[in-house]
Amino acid sequence: MEGINRIPDPAEEKQGFGYKAVLWIFRLAALLGGMAMFFPPANPGRISEKINEAASLFTTGVSRDTITNSMGRILRSQWIQDADITLLMIACCIVMAGMIACCAGACMSLGNHKMRRRGLLLPVIGAPVMGIGLFLIHQAYVSMLAHGEEVGKLDTIKLILPGGFPAFCVIAGLLFLTGLTALLMTRPETDSSVKMEMDEKYRLFLMMLPVILLSFIFAYLPIWGWRYAFFDYKPGGTIGMDNFVGLKWFGSLFNDPATVSDLIRVLRNTLIMSGLGIATSWLPIAFAVLLAEIRSTKFQRTVQTLTTIPNFISWVLVYAIAICIFSTDGFINSFLTNVLHQTGANTNYLQIADHTWLKMLLWGTWKGVGWSAIVYIAGIAGIDQQLYEAARVDGANRFRCIWHITIPGLMPTYMVMLLMGIAGILSNGMEQYLVFENAMNKDVIEVLDLYVYHIGIGQNQIPLSTVVGISKSLVGVTLLFAANGISKAVRGESII
Amino acid sequence: MSKKDNGASMHIRRTVGDKVFETAVIILFLLFTFICIFPFYYLLINTISDNDLVTGGRVNFIPLLKDAAGNGVLGVQFNNYIALQNVQDLGSSVFVTVARTILATALMVITSAWAGYLVTKQKMWKRSFWYRFLVVTMYFNAGLVPWYMNMLMMGLTDNFLAYIIPGMVWPYNIILVKTYIESIPSSLEESAVIDGASTLTVWRKIIVPLSIPILATIAIFGAVGNWNSFQDSLLLMNNRPDLYTLQHRLYIYLNSSSNLGAMMSQGGTVSEQAAASMLNQRVIQYTVSMVSIIPILLVYPFMQRFFVKGIMLGAVKG
Repeated sequence: MEGINRIPDPAEEKQGFGYKAVLWIFRLAALLGGMAMFFPPANPGRISEKINEAASLFTTGVSRDTITNSMGRILRSQWIQDADITLLMIACCIVMAGMIACCAGACMSLGNHKMRRRGLLLPVIGAPVMGIGLFLIHQAYVSMLAHGEEVGKLDTIKLILPGGFPAFCVIAGLLFLTGLTALLMTRPETDSSVKMEMDEKYRLFLMMLPVILLSFIFAYLPIWGWRYAFFDYKPGGTIGMDNFVGLKWFGSLFNDPATVSDLIRVLRNTLIMSGLGIATSWLPIAFAVLLAEIRSTKFQRTVQTLTTIPNFISWVLVYAIAICIFSTDGFINSFLTNVLHQTGANTNYLQIADHTWLKMLLWGTWKGVGWSAIVYIAGIAGIDQQLYEAARVDGANRFRCIWHITIPGLMPTYMVMLLMGIAGILSNGMEQYLVFENAMNKDVIEVLDLYVYHIGIGQNQIPLSTVVGISKSLVGVTLLFAANGISKAVRGESII
Repeated sequence: MSKKDNGASMHIRRTVGDKVFETAVIILFLLFTFICIFPFYYLLINTISDNDLVTGGRVNFIPLLKDAAGNGVLGVQFNNYIALQNVQDLGSSVFVTVARTILATALMVITSAWAGYLVTKQKMWKRSFWYRFLVVTMYFNAGLVPWYMNMLMMGLTDNFLAYIIPGMVWPYNIILVKTYIESIPSSLEESAVIDGASTLTVWRKIIVPLSIPILATIAIFGAVGNWNSFQDSLLLMNNRPDLYTLQHRLYIYLNSSSNLGAMMSQGGTVSEQAAASMLNQRVIQYTVSMVSIIPILLVYPFMQRFFVKGIMLGAVKG
């Protein structure tokens, strides 16, 4: 594509490493500050513990409801004045305006000489604006403090200076210093006819940046939560040096008898159910091959349509269907009673723990086999017909054709599916087992994912469940790489 | 499936063995198809029959209503569906789920189209690094509890936005869109650029219209996924029952051993309460289940043409 070519920028080339370093520190500070606006723990505006903990700087600036939703009585009794809240919100908006200017400046600093010079003016203005906003937040704090003292309710309104406050002061200072330094180091414009432009590579990157940030926040940032594995953390508590326990929780996976017996049990369930899944992973192939042997296209299409439906309903709905068929007054029992006139047919089959693993496999097959077969059906359609014709001429019958042509043709796809199945042997999801779980089958149905959910969310054992989760993730990644290595070695192709 | 045409000409003389085999296979498939479909049918007829007959287990294969003598005759009624308006909290769940399905799907499709287009741009700064940065997240996750703690830290618990924002970047869909866009002739884009079109204009006027098939594919799969969502509601909405999704609500109904009164909204007019008393718990469960299945069955015919495309493109590596 003939885009805009790299704009020659002699000014930049003559500047040394120091200039680039200052610019990158500035951009990084702007990125951090920009993200911190939406990051509740870094909210500089949470000057009272009564302000919602989940409110970020952005929320504090725009939503009075969110910040005041747990201070009803305090506001009604005028222990904190409305005017102070308004001042706080305005102050937060001013901080944000300054921060946004700095971020815009950081983006523009990726442009050509002229754009960069303009862009660097923004932090020089924006950072002092942030300073004003932070000062106003402090004023709101001082005002609330004075008023609280006056009415004698300081204990109730719980004023604090949040950690985000000094953090934002530091960021504002850093932005100002680096922005100003970079501006002073950038040569003045010599040719005013040059337009503001940005090299395409940075322009495209900036367009991509929001997506990258979203991915970072929701897929990478959770790794920061792994720190709970090293602390004696209780929900609502804090983590610090006083409850640092090192590898204690990792040790408890092997030392603590209760945990060990739980783990052995859930690992057994996990491996058996995944193993059954892998052992029956040829079923979709059989489905596809047999379906292809039927000569009526209409029949094929109808079967395919109807057997795929279960794949698209949730496990909760599968459970609803299980209830309507197998529960005490479900189809099976009423069929036995009213059609076969059997007396005393009122078994709740869902409460029987026998053969739980097999039942779970059957539900999984019922839900998934039609869908999984589609990829093989498409694969069969892609096999060269001349192969079949040649084989028939040579006297091959139907089964020999299947065995020597169809199956080998589907093998590459099957190998990929199989390796992915092996790589995911520890993750069989929790929804299916959660919905089918009851007091009877608890011991045999609890898989690793469900166990993590039970101890982490149900019993609030955050550190232990984090440790189990970490181990699972690491094993999963190792298995994936191993599977990929096998695939590369055997087929010369990677699967990821 | 294309084998059938050639097969027909090949099977000029079918042996007895062939016939037996084919009949056996057909019976096998009829049986399996019946098993796949019958539960849905059974669920349906139990919601449109007379509730007393349902409770007595009389409705097995056809919907029944009572005649004057109290015996079952073929017939249907829809009172159960009308009575659903009295079921507690159902309305808010339906609203939340519909809103979520529309918003989250739309944003996911836009994000995927945008990101999928940008990652085809070789000129982007560190393009392959950022692409891998996105794709790696498909194979790795930090675990349930760290994820939950992260959502807590971001203020996305008890918050409707938790249904929308985290689902915007879906690496698998970005790969699908990217692969599709790469198959579009680059000359179209080049000519637009020569005419002075910006990246945004090219995306809006050329890339998006040409990518409609793949965008429709991810939209429909995304919509079904959102409609079926249960886990995020279960994990994140502990203090906001009004934000439970339909599946979560259904899960609660299915597990509630409480009596009918707990499930029905309190108060209401006399006629409402009379309507409510006609229901029993089992029928409510069936009817709510049916309500959450119906939309999927409605979009199902449209989805079908995207099946193979969706699943086959997935095999294409990033």
